[in-house]
Amino acid sequence: MPTEITLRLQINGEQVRRIIPANRSLLDFIREDLRLTGSKHGCDVGDCGACTVLVDGAPQLACITLAAECEGAAIRTIEGVTDGGGLHPIQEALHRHVGAQCGYCTPGIVMAMTSLLEADPHPSDSAINEALGSNICRCTGYTKILAAVREVARPGSPS
Amino acid sequence: MTDDRDFHVRAVAEGGVLGGGGRGKVDGLAKITGRSVFVDDLVLPRMVYAKVLRSPHAHAKILSIDASEALAMPGVLKVMTGEDCTARYGAIPVAQDETALALGKVRYIGEPVVCVAAVDEETARDACRRVRVVYEPLDAILSIDDALSADKPFIHEWARKPSNILRKVDQEYGDVDAAFAASDLVLEGTYDYPGSTHVPLETHAALAVPHADGRLTLWSSTQNPHYMHRTIARVLGMRPGDVRVIKPDIGAGYGGKCDTFCTDVCSAWLARALDRPVKFVFEREEVFYAHRGRHRTKMWLKMGMTKEGRVTGIDFKAWAEGGAYASYGVVTSFYLGVFMTMPYKVENYRFQSHRVYTNHPPCGPKRGHGAIQPRFALELHLDRMCEALGLDPVQVRLDNLIEAGHETVNGLLVPSIALSECIERVVQASDYRAKKGSLPPGRGIGLACSAYMCGALHAVYDNDLPHSGVQLKCDRSGRVTIFSGTADCGQGSNHMLAVFVAERLGIDPTDCTVVEADTDLTPVDLGSYSSRVTFMAGNAALQAADRLRSQIASALAAKFKVPVESLVFAGREVRGAWRPIPWLEAVDIAEGHHGTLGSVGSYKPPKIGSRLKRTSVGPSPAYSFTAQVAEVTVDQVSGVVTVDKMWAAHDLGRVLHREIAEGQIEGCVYMGVGEALLEEQAYRKDGVHMTPSILEYRIPTVYDTPEIQVLLVESHDPGGPFGAKEAGEGPQLSTVPAIGNALHDAIGRWLTNPPYTPEKVWKAIKGR
Amino acid sequence: MLPFPKFSYEAPGTLDELFTLASVSGSRIVAGGTDLLPSLKHRLFQDTLLISLRRLRELRGVTIEGGALVIGANTTLRDVARDDRVAAGWPALRDACRTIATSTIQAMGTLGGNVMLDTRCLYYNQPDGWRASIGGCLKADGSVCHVAPNGAGCYAAHSADTVPALWLYGAILRFGSERGIREVALADLYGTDGRTWLGNARDEVLLAIVVPKAPAGSVVHRKLRARGAIDYGMLLTAVHRRPDGSGAAVVSALGPRPVFVEAERVEDLAAAAHKAATPMRTHAYGVGWRKHMVRVEVERALAGS
Repeated sequence: MPTEITLRLQINGEQVRRIIPANRSLLDFIREDLRLTGSKHGCDVGDCGACTVLVDGAPQLACITLAAECEGAAIRTIEGVTDGGGLHPIQEALHRHVGAQCGYCTPGIVMAMTSLLEADPHPSDSAINEALGSNICRCTGYTKILAAVREVARPGSPS
Repeated sequence: MTDDRDFHVRAVAEGGVLGGGGRGKVDGLAKITGRSVFVDDLVLPRMVYAKVLRSPHAHAKILSIDASEALAMPGVLKVMTGEDCTARYGAIPVAQDETALALGKVRYIGEPVVCVAAVDEETARDACRRVRVVYEPLDAILSIDDALSADKPFIHEWARKPSNILRKVDQEYGDVDAAFAASDLVLEGTYDYPGSTHVPLETHAALAVPHADGRLTLWSSTQNPHYMHRTIARVLGMRPGDVRVIKPDIGAGYGGKCDTFCTDVCSAWLARALDRPVKFVFEREEVFYAHRGRHRTKMWLKMGMTKEGRVTGIDFKAWAEGGAYASYGVVTSFYLGVFMTMPYKVENYRFQSHRVYTNHPPCGPKRGHGAIQPRFALELHLDRMCEALGLDPVQVRLDNLIEAGHETVNGLLVPSIALSECIERVVQASDYRAKKGSLPPGRGIGLACSAYMCGALHAVYDNDLPHSGVQLKCDRSGRVTIFSGTADCGQGSNHMLAVFVAERLGIDPTDCTVVEADTDLTPVDLGSYSSRVTFMAGNAALQAADRLRSQIASALAAKFKVPVESLVFAGREVRGAWRPIPWLEAVDIAEGHHGTLGSVGSYKPPKIGSRLKRTSVGPSPAYSFTAQVAEVTVDQVSGVVTVDKMWAAHDLGRVLHREIAEGQIEGCVYMGVGEALLEEQAYRKDGVHMTPSILEYRIPTVYDTPEIQVLLVESHDPGGPFGAKEAGEGPQLSTVPAIGNALHDAIGRWLTNPPYTPEKVWKAIKGR
Repeated sequence: MLPFPKFSYEAPGTLDELFTLASVSGSRIVAGGTDLLPSLKHRLFQDTLLISLRRLRELRGVTIEGGALVIGANTTLRDVARDDRVAAGWPALRDACRTIATSTIQAMGTLGGNVMLDTRCLYYNQPDGWRASIGGCLKADGSVCHVAPNGAGCYAAHSADTVPALWLYGAILRFGSERGIREVALADLYGTDGRTWLGNARDEVLLAIVVPKAPAGSVVHRKLRARGAIDYGMLLTAVHRRPDGSGAAVVSALGPRPVFVEAERVEDLAAAAHKAATPMRTHAYGVGWRKHMVRVEVERALAGS
């Protein structure tokens, strides 16, 4: 039985091909093999959301995703959240509201919120909670993060 | 110190740097783009990895360690045991009781025993599990009662007889017994506040790098690079000048990263032994064993009051369960009592505390260190006395408040206080008076207040040196580089430094580069603890900025033949000469006039307070104050408590950056709600930590966090930089008692032992 | 970083290849992996082969066959919850999917994975070093059950959110193996010991969950958990209020097998469930309160039905 596999996938728009051990997590593949260190180890067992990336547009916890399971998939990480650089509106809003204190959970939250807003540009408060419920932030009490997301979801209305 | 009352108006008028206003913070863009660099993001050539094997016993002698099988594994490079690094260290000089790895015996389940370095983490981890350690179990001390018993073995042979007491404190001021005799009501009560832990999202991490010249660099996720620097040099037997400690971005601390951990010492020792960089990052489970969190504290409180509601005296005893090592526990033993004499005037006060050793992971400083537990007891007790005397909890609090200039009976001098405004605003915003006692069954509202410090007057090691130093470099590029030993843990201290310097020089914070927490590059700052950074490093930054401004102003005054006093620095130019001088030109002229530009500033707290002893713990150059109201709903069938909303008014002296200040207060309330409803560092009776994961140690998600309304109140502290005080710890003190008081309003029961789990509340309701 | 143990990996392209691989001793199916992979990191299994379902399109998706819902085992919980037909005909299944862990986990985990979820216990779902400190337990590396040291077996709790509702909807599980296809009523699958809770199905592969046309009356799902997200249930409840005035309930997270009760008068259902429920110390919350909550949750589910 193979303990190594050849993995082909797209990461932030770029095709990559690597031979990896079968027990490589997507998070380690991204961080160690591709040196994209924006996605973080928080709990390593799928409880905190700090490693959230998008796999074919859907949020996934990279720490409990096998890299091998992503064969042929398109992965987006915090490094590729916008095509061709610049800030995603949610990043811009998080910056202005100071929605990142220590910033360790922030890449995961940006990815989760990006996925939410791409599926529904104007999510309700309950949809926002449902998406943000996947991510632990220990610094902010979520208040400034919610203010930022609501501002993007409902431009012009008070947050 | 600087007092600049007209400044706020000017800043707003000119789009100045104070006040925030949707402009983010200087390191904000790096954080929201994932470009902040944390220890685990660093990779160096030839780097190897360390992991530890931990104790399965709460208390046991180590009889033998056989690592031969591990050493024989391909990829394993070195095995380190306690015998390899025997120097004892600890946060406080009088309690140096730790070694990097257990030496001779283990004192808690999860204590590091053996450290393995290998070519990758998998190998290091597997190798740890092939090390054979033989133990001889000892009688374990697993409760406060055990620790106070004379029949138990000592966890540390040198702890004070006749038991496992790290420190006992006895203090008495005034005449408590006479005060009680003259009271209309004297009420006794007991309280039991749970242990809890910080759960920073980044686990503890270190990367040690040996250099060709024998020096060592240690990248560490620490809140206190300076203390770490001293500890590492001493433990490794190196000259301090040969050790460089760098704190990169860290995934927060909340007090949990104040100590030196095995990550730091083991990576440093192994790096020197192997002459290779060694990285050591904790797994999530290990953070619960590293702990240094809130002490579980049992308390007994007796308070006297006149029928008009004046507090006459307090008698207070606390027993804090500290776990297996001292950490900051000596300080904890004082903090448990020192702030009981504010914000309410108390002239007769007796205090006794015991901080004991047990065979649990060590406790230490968690946000609101040592002050959270007694504040909970005091604020509930006050409401109980108001109920007994038929008094209004708001009015009683207002009537007993100290005023600016007050010196407490235990020697704390309070330069500024705006708590009455906090109380009034929070009562008004929440409609407390209309709601108290009038909400439908199962719903309730509660108020609590608190006081906290802005840094300690004394360093943890006795010295007469500055507590904070800041150095500025400025050249013809126009950029100002701020060198500071402060450790930003996410609270925004980098931005704060840039705000102080930029405001003084009339430039934008983004014109400044903050170089922080690198002991080779940055002047000493004692670290991010005791809410000291804004106050102390802020004053140092202002002094440095004023000196740099003077250099530039004197050069311009000479060139443009105007008095120095007429020059105003604002809007990236200097005004007051016949034409505005752009900042770049001003710097150019100054560099030409003086040669290379630079300045330093430092801060040493004034020795204030007439009754102060040099070594006393608790005195601070200023105090912050908070009033909070909680509104709760209790499901009376299930016992589930929901905090519907929290109102938090905080006297932070001066608003330096609105969003950052609010964020600190929101974070405090959040952490308080967790302690009130969900969190407990819980052990099985044999000392096993039952919930070492984010799945089972339940910190609040967005669903579990109430709406939080923050009200910022300014008191313009005379010693604070621009009048500012702390905002990052004090606000947590009021949260749990406000919820406790609201629970009583909802169900008519005083619940004196958080967390308020459904089970506990259900039992309380059933027992009514 | 908490690394995975070593294992090998196969992603078969046909059902026949799948069945051949599944017959290998110690192999496990990855159907989402949101519980399996953390458990591997905790070294709960010594398995050497993980079998991926990702190439088998036929195991993914929701179809209607003769009024019954047929859900491929590898269909994500999110896709189940978002399916309009599920929402219209089997709303309690949708509700159950939406209370699982977090929305991100729902986008990863699958219905098959949930139905086959390992039983859980505070003494079992812990890292390897932790388990060493208690000498392991009956379910992994030990010989003592810490929940009931004098008990008859392992009491690890059935914790699959969707199972109480699927049970009351009369779901059928379609398994495949080298021996062929076999259908089993979900209600008949689970055993009474936390180690062998899947009865005789462990060497077979769950292919689909077949949910017949919903019975008359209404089925309601409820989950009791400490936080609004992330947590496994402390108590999982589904009730069926029938048009004839009778009712049925399945309560779970109490022990290895969900508890099914019926009452001729729906008013008696909560008392019947309360009587039948024996919570064990598998969770951080006490057994007295959890037993009390069985009655409360059944009553509240009925109130919402």
